[in-house]
Order: sequence, then structure tokens, then C-alpha cells
Amino acid sequence: MADKSSDPVAMWQNLIGEMEKGFNSFANQAMASPEFSKVVNQVGGATAGAQKQLGDLMEKYLVSMNLPSRAQMVSMAERLQSIEGQLNEIKALLRQVHNNSGAPQGGYTAAPKPPRTKRPPAAGGEQK
Amino acid sequence: MNAAAGLDLASIPDRIQSEVQRAIQRSIKGVEYIASSGPSLGSTPKDILSVRGTMNLYHYRPISDEIYRVPILIVMATTNRGYILDMVPGQSFIEFLLKRGYDVYMLDWTAPKPEEKSLRMEDYVLDFIPDCVRHVQRDSGETDVTVIGYCFGGVLSLLYGSIFADGPMKNLICFTTPVDFREMKLFQNFSDRRYFDVDRLVDSVGNVPPEMILSSFEMLRPASRAVSQVQLWENIWNDEYVKSYRMFDRWATDTLPLAGEYFRAITKDLMWDNKLFNRTMSVGGRKADISGIKVPILHAVAEHDHIVPYDAAKHLIQMVGSSDKQEVMLKGGHVSLVAGANAIKRLWPKLDSWLGERSI
Repeated sequence: MADKSSDPVAMWQNLIGEMEKGFNSFANQAMASPEFSKVVNQVGGATAGAQKQLGDLMEKYLVSMNLPSRAQMVSMAERLQSIEGQLNEIKALLRQVHNNSGAPQGGYTAAPKPPRTKRPPAAGGEQK
Repeated sequence: MNAAAGLDLASIPDRIQSEVQRAIQRSIKGVEYIASSGPSLGSTPKDILSVRGTMNLYHYRPISDEIYRVPILIVMATTNRGYILDMVPGQSFIEFLLKRGYDVYMLDWTAPKPEEKSLRMEDYVLDFIPDCVRHVQRDSGETDVTVIGYCFGGVLSLLYGSIFADGPMKNLICFTTPVDFREMKLFQNFSDRRYFDVDRLVDSVGNVPPEMILSSFEMLRPASRAVSQVQLWENIWNDEYVKSYRMFDRWATDTLPLAGEYFRAITKDLMWDNKLFNRTMSVGGRKADISGIKVPILHAVAEHDHIVPYDAAKHLIQMVGSSDKQEVMLKGGHVSLVAGANAIKRLWPKLDSWLGERSI
């Protein structure tokens, strides 16, 4: 087997690893400064505000073009999610009714519930 | 061996041949990578017990003939998807628990909708978690419930446990859970109250967008994303590496937005005023001092956690009021602690041996 210290591939991988650590460390030091926080938050705040304004503008534009806006699409997605949610509730309710009815377990909940009698294995024992 | 250069000349042809073969494999596999989708994640069979807005409660179908009496409710972090704990068969914490005879439920989150921007900390701690606990009790027929919280899910679980100190939580397990937010140095700096106007942000965007959450995580290690791409290309001939890369990359980038009011409370109460650590935290007017938690508690922390540094997590065990309490530090990072090869070898068996005897 080739000695790792002389293997160019291993050396390359090592170099990449060291560069990553070095850059992360350097960047973390830079990002820990109050100046960094100030600049990032100024830019971030301005970006968030600009995005909001752009969003409002796009919405008006889409309405004028007779196209669905993002808000309308989101609203449709919400209605779909709501329908999905109600279906899930119905499913859960059916499951509950089925469990309470004592009917044979052949339908939705195929597996009967196992007994809650398990004990931890003795020290050093094998797990089942 | 050429002693001067430290180079084994005889091995050079073999190395060249091996590298050429890998280069060919990289080209073939690279095309496959682009053309195919990743592995299917979170596929352990489960039933949905309850869905309410951003809240989803699942019950995983037991696979043992016999299960422990006390069911488990896993509370996922609100920034990320729960399938990190259920990657693929053989690498799934959920599957591991089911095989070891636990009855497992998970409180997982979906992206809060625009009208859910007003969800507050109290909605999570005083409504969603208690509601899920009630569902678990009803479904399992048991009063006692073990709660497992991952990352910020751990913070929510601590708040829940301190407010509902009389039960029904029987055991609490936290993974990489911060309590001293001063020690999350970079997050502290990103949210420096002198420059970060959280009110303006929340008032203008509503829910905090996932891109912003993801960027703040990635900024903790800014070079790592680029390096991971290089490493992917180097290892693209290796199917196992690629599979693992795709799983973790998909999860890491599948970040959830945060409800605006909830984010505002996290920033002001935890990041700015460090109320959890200072024991001045309250949720919905109810005092949430973690010294009120008396149940058995296990806190698993990672040695190389860059998201929740040890200094931010180390006070948890000391601060809770439990007499049966343990911290376990394991090798790995914030994610590899709970998922991946290290977790399979280290955390999962440790958790099983601790929890089994407390689940009867």
C-alpha cells in the first residue's frame, strides 16, 4: 500500500480539508465582529424591504395581466392542504371508529397492536 | 522506496491506473447522478394521527411482537424536516427504535402558511405539544409519555416539561439542545440587537423565509458547501458515498420557514435576553424554569457541533431539577450525532440502553 504521506491524491484531499478548516476559521473570526453584523443587517434589512416592495409590484402587474398572483396560488395550495388535512382527519376518525368497534383487524389498521409487555434485556443480553 | 522523496516508485503505475479508472467512473456516475433522483427518504410505514396547520403527528407502525409500555413522542426542530431521523432502511433512527420494541410517534412540522405568521411560542409549547401528547395517550392507551427533542425541538420540550412539570412526561431525552444562547456566538452576532431589527423583518416578510434560515446555517461554515461539492466529485464513483451525500444534502437544504411571531420571540427572549438560561422565561404568561423538570433526563451532545456548540448546551443537565440525569458526549457533529454511521454505532445503542429500563 502506498505511503499516505507520499500519495498525491491523499495529499490533495488533506490540502482541501486543511483549506476548508482554515477558511471557515478565518471567516468565523471575521463574522464575529460587530462591523460584520452591522453590514449584514443593513444589507439584509434593505433586501427584505425591497423584496416586499417588488412582491407587491409583481402582484399588481399579474392582476393587470389577468394572471394568477403568487398570493392566489398560495391560497389555492392552502385550500388543497386544507382538503388533505380534512381527509387525514377523516382517516384518523375512521381508524378510531374501527378500533372502537372491535371489528376484525383486516382493513385499514391491518396489524393488531402488540402487547406493551416488553422488558429491557438483562445486562449483556442480546436484543431481539 | 525513494527515501529522499518518500515516494514508492513501484506503486505509481498502479495509482495512475486506479485514478484513470476512477476518472472514467466519475464521468459515468456523474451523468447518472444528474439523471436520477435521490433515495426515497422517510419511508418507514406510518399513519397520520393529526394534522393542524404546520403541525403533523405521525404514528409509526410497530414492528415488534412486544413493545415497551411507555410510548415515545419525538419533537422535531421547527427549522427542519423529521426525516433526518428516518433516512433509509438500515440508517433510520425510527426503524432502530421500532426494532428495539418502542412505540414511536413524531411531531413533525411543515412550512407554516402565510396566515400562520402569527403563531407564537405559546402555540407551540402550550397547544401543539400538549395536543400531540393527548393524541399519543389516546392512541396508545398509556398515560406516561417519553419525549425526545432534537435541537430546537429539545428547547420546546424543555419549555413544555417545565410548564407541565406534573406530567404526563415520564422521561425526557434531548439531542444537542442549547440553553445558554450567549454561547451561540455567530448566531448572537447575526442577531446583534444593535443592528438586527427583528420587528422590521417580521413585519415586512411575515414568516421568515427558509433561504434566510439556510444561509444563517451555511454561514457558520462558509467553505464547507463548496468543499462538499469537490468531495462529491472525487467520490462520485463510490455509490455509498453518493447515496449518503444525497440524503444529507437534501435534508440540509430542505429548511422550513419560521412563523414570524415565533421567530420574534426566539430572537428577543432567547437570543437577546437569554431567558431560558437566566430562568426568567415564560410562555403565555406561565413561568418556564427548567429547574422544575424532575423526570429522568438524558442529554446527548456532539463533540464537534458547530451549530449548537457545547458551551451553549452544557448547562442543561446542571440546571434541570431531575435527580436521574445524564449527559453523554459523543464524537460527531450536529447532524451525524443523530443520523449516519456514527449515530448507529454510538448514540442509538446508548439511548436504547438508557431508555429501555425507564420505559416499563
